[in-house]
Amino acid sequence: MSDVTKSKPRPVDMPTFRNIAVSDLARYRLPLPGIASIIHRITGIALFFGLILLLPMLQMSLKSEAGFEAFRTIVWGNPLAKLVMIGLLFAIIYHLIAGIRHVIQDSGKWLDLQVSRSTASAVFVSSVVVTALIVWRLW
Amino acid sequence: MASNQSGIQDWWLQRISAGIIAAYVLLLIVLLLVNGTPTAAQWQALFANNAFKAFTLLALIATFYHGLIGVLHIWPDYIKNAATRATLNALSWLAAAGYALYAVYILFGLK
Repeated sequence: MSDVTKSKPRPVDMPTFRNIAVSDLARYRLPLPGIASIIHRITGIALFFGLILLLPMLQMSLKSEAGFEAFRTIVWGNPLAKLVMIGLLFAIIYHLIAGIRHVIQDSGKWLDLQVSRSTASAVFVSSVVVTALIVWRLW
Repeated sequence: MASNQSGIQDWWLQRISAGIIAAYVLLLIVLLLVNGTPTAAQWQALFANNAFKAFTLLALIATFYHGLIGVLHIWPDYIKNAATRATLNALSWLAAAGYALYAVYILFGLK
């Protein structure tokens, strides 16, 4: 090993393995399965705290016919509220599909890099498609 | 939760609760895709059904528990300050307990 390094000058772009520093963050790209994993966490946290919005809406929608209509006006009548609801719907669908992939990987399957990459892409695509389908049906 | 040192209990409960939530969400999605947007009467009739009400409460309690286990495992991965972590843990427990009481009130409380 030392012979090799002595005989040839070390290429400038040769990778070195060390902990990254804060200044590296802009250049650091999470691999696709890593992105799938972090979005699973983010959607999970968003849903847990999003329940603060969802539970009062459930209560409103069940209280009376007027309550149901008021809920529809608030959610469908306000573009921001609509966006938040579509976001939470996406979070549910994404978290569910990514969760199924996670359980399959826990059992020891789908672990090599190529498969892990392609199933991560499949999670992104299918969750967007299912969300779009529901939004389109309920519009 | 802290009493289960190996994490096996959390691991199982996380998957059992996930199965319950998944079944409930899939049922709702199928109902919405098949029937479209419900009217107030249809929506309220669905929730007046005792079996559906019981399934809703089960799914909601599973959701609160699943979420609580989730966030309690996530905080220590990012939050290094013990006081901040303790605050977040307390808030998470409070949210889950509050949700549970609220859900019982919504489904079975006085209207």
